[in-house]
Amino acid sequence: MKVIKFSVSLLVTLGLIYFLNNSWTIGGKPIPPPGKFLDPFHGFWQNIESENNSATIDLTIEGLQAPVSVRFDSLMIPHIFAQNDADLYLAQGYVTAMHRLWQMEFQTHAAAGRISEILATDDILNYDRAQRRLGMVYGARRALQAMEEDPTTALMMAKYTEGINQYIQGLSYDELPFEYKLLDYKPEPWTALKCALLLKNMAQTLDMGDKDMEMTNALKLFGKETVDLLYPDQEGVGDPIVDNPGGWKFNPIRIDTVALAMPTELIKLKKLPGSDPTTGSNNWAVSGSKTATGSPMLCGDPHLRLSLPSIWYAIQLNAPGVNSMGVSLPGSPAIIIGFNDSIAWSVTNAQRDLVDWFKITFDGENREKYLLDGKWIPTEKVVEEIKVRGNPTFYDTVRYTYWGPITYDESFRAENNHNGYAFRWIAHEKSNEALTFHKLNRAKNHSDYMEALNVFYLPAQNFVFASVSGDIAMRIQGRFPVRRPEEGKFVLDGSQSSFGWQAFIPNEQNVMSKNPARGFVSSANQMPVDPTYPYYYTATSYEAYRNRRINQVLSQTQAIQVNDLMKLQNDNYNLKAAESLPAFLHMLDSVHLKGAELTAYSILKSWDYYNNAESEGASYYEAWWDSLMPLIWDELEKEGMALSRPTTYNTIKLIKEKPDLSFFDIQGTPEKETAGDVVRKAFSVAIEGIEKWKQENAATVKWADYKDSFIGHLLPPMRALSIPVKTGGNHDIVNAHSRTHGPSWRMVVSLEKTGVRSWATYPGGQSGNPGSKHYADMLDRWSSGKYFPMVFMKDPEAAKERTLQSLQFNPQQK
Amino acid sequence: MKFGLQVLATMILGYALAIFLPWWTVAIAAFLCGMIFNTRANFGAGFLGIALLWLLKAWLIDSTAAAPLSERVAAIMGLSKPLLFLVTALIGGLVGGFAAMTGAALNKPKRRGTYY
Repeated sequence: MKVIKFSVSLLVTLGLIYFLNNSWTIGGKPIPPPGKFLDPFHGFWQNIESENNSATIDLTIEGLQAPVSVRFDSLMIPHIFAQNDADLYLAQGYVTAMHRLWQMEFQTHAAAGRISEILATDDILNYDRAQRRLGMVYGARRALQAMEEDPTTALMMAKYTEGINQYIQGLSYDELPFEYKLLDYKPEPWTALKCALLLKNMAQTLDMGDKDMEMTNALKLFGKETVDLLYPDQEGVGDPIVDNPGGWKFNPIRIDTVALAMPTELIKLKKLPGSDPTTGSNNWAVSGSKTATGSPMLCGDPHLRLSLPSIWYAIQLNAPGVNSMGVSLPGSPAIIIGFNDSIAWSVTNAQRDLVDWFKITFDGENREKYLLDGKWIPTEKVVEEIKVRGNPTFYDTVRYTYWGPITYDESFRAENNHNGYAFRWIAHEKSNEALTFHKLNRAKNHSDYMEALNVFYLPAQNFVFASVSGDIAMRIQGRFPVRRPEEGKFVLDGSQSSFGWQAFIPNEQNVMSKNPARGFVSSANQMPVDPTYPYYYTATSYEAYRNRRINQVLSQTQAIQVNDLMKLQNDNYNLKAAESLPAFLHMLDSVHLKGAELTAYSILKSWDYYNNAESEGASYYEAWWDSLMPLIWDELEKEGMALSRPTTYNTIKLIKEKPDLSFFDIQGTPEKETAGDVVRKAFSVAIEGIEKWKQENAATVKWADYKDSFIGHLLPPMRALSIPVKTGGNHDIVNAHSRTHGPSWRMVVSLEKTGVRSWATYPGGQSGNPGSKHYADMLDRWSSGKYFPMVFMKDPEAAKERTLQSLQFNPQQK
Repeated sequence: MKFGLQVLATMILGYALAIFLPWWTVAIAAFLCGMIFNTRANFGAGFLGIALLWLLKAWLIDSTAAAPLSERVAAIMGLSKPLLFLVTALIGGLVGGFAAMTGAALNKPKRRGTYY
């Protein structure tokens, strides 16, 4: 009897422990191991940090040559003081991992197409397959090779990696970042390849924009004339980033111009999403002649999909020869955007087309060989092994060609289309951007900046610069292929190597400018250069509004103060609305409007074109615009076929100048509509939508409420870890905060001779832990357009009253 | 009286083990206490000991929390915050209860015919 009782209760206990110690999928949803996760001594409760988090910690670190002091200020920004570069990067790795380990690993898993190892769904498997087929790891391996060939970056990567691994080694379950506990897995050792993957991840965000297939389909469906009307190379609006007509005095490289054959095919495949066109950025530098202090000032705000843990990690790096502060990308050493004692720099995306698709001619059904220059060349098969959590491994064969991987083929996203398309991407080139940042962190003047940029290939960026010695500059840096006219706009014939990139524009022939007469340099993803620049270039799109507003404000303002530039970064003036709304309102039949439409009309009529948080006019205008675009371009929504919409600027231009264009006819109706009809119809649809919104939400439709922005956690379904924000602005506005994208870092630097000063903020916080007060402690000031003065420490004992935590790293005693 | 002592002993031993060892060692604490004390309600004592220990610890952590992670977790699990505390206590309690029962079964029976 007793034995039975003992055995039964023992079995129940053990069974219960087993159940509670493992993760399960219940109702299609993964749940963490209930006991392990909820145990307050080790589980998620341990990730809750207390209000009082001041601490002084001494650690012995393997691989360190000399002691390193780290001071965390009240925003939890680390200030690292090391005695040499090796220790500096080791400490950067360690400290970054302390706050962002989960994010670093997750983002590199995402880049490499390994999310299925953590979360298994069909969508995630398809995502992973796409990453493999885009050759992300292939590109990262080549970048790593370049990094390891250079002794400086080889050391950087090795030490940074060592620092991260030192941190991982010391971790117990209760110290694991929250997301590991939630998803029930463990961090793996860091590798230098992951640093490279992270940079490729950024390249994917910024440099993978293209519309070659979309343009090819448009060409076949509508003809060349319409394509040129809908998608002109140049929209002829605003100032280019560098306006230097007749000033390009060099001999450009000319390649034998084989006339490119225009493709005549319809490509039916589900194209992968490329870089989001609403990601963009602003930056500018103002010379001392225009500022109140007489010293140059520099500003930067890169716009990205806003996420938590935050995209950027602020840090100060100090060692002999370097004293730099700014933001780093968790997972990559050095500072990417920032300043030092002598200079400041920031970046915006250059937009240029650096992606080509090559149509592959196969030898037959089995696709063993492809045609190149009259010969049949074997494809190189790479079997991608995608481990899927709780499921058998998925194997995907990706064929590589002279051009790159064949992303789309019979097994991937191709509908009824038995062609293969190979992906040629600049990020597959061997390059070593880490060296640029290492050098920029240490740059003293304009010529150091120029030298640092010479090895920067991608993602192509507009690098703004200012120095304490009084220079301001802009350089559009990247590795740009020399293109024939129209090359890169359409899918190319992959059977001849001469159709590929023959040469690259030499660094010294890239677009650049130093101390221009107007007293400032600026960029906002607009077209790069005046028409006298001797190279052909295209992009998916160039920005048309932010750049003009920025230049207008900067030209008009004299004796500029820091506050003026903060105000400009947060400027909500909607130039697009100012240019389009009067015409739209004119198209309405205002005499016959009634009810909600009449109210909307009068609100819009008196709107000041500012997308402020409280504005009602902004809500009406944006709702109107958002219903107008799909109504106009309904012809471009074809099942299973990639087509892209013309830009905002060109759409408005066509409404005004070509109201009878056939595209304004709505396909689903028997009538023949003109621009005016579509604008009126969109107005009714928008007002109906707003009335519905009002019933469900509030009586007044304030723009911040209607926009309903949020900073989303990197795990998309985790809305509970995301944070809603109420702000003004939108895409196409200097304060580019749309529902999901926006300024991921706002920085203002004043380069004074008495010491460089800076103010900054970002939408989140230094800690990646949702249980820390530093998870999003910078968000409030960011939302309200305010800044934190950056604590730029001279030595570890400086600014003691603002030190929250101290960390001392000691080398191992021999 | 003895029941109260068993609960208290389970809590203290559970706490001591939890500092160094994984979460499931609370079962060892409840098991040992069940074996030593073997009161009339071992399941109850083990359950209460661990449930109270976990509830108290969770409450202590949450009372000085600088960020609403418990709310966030409750939202992920579709629970209210008080319910998250109760579920935490319940899970610890169940393990403690069954472990105490198992331990008690190793001890010589106090009274025949009584189940616990």
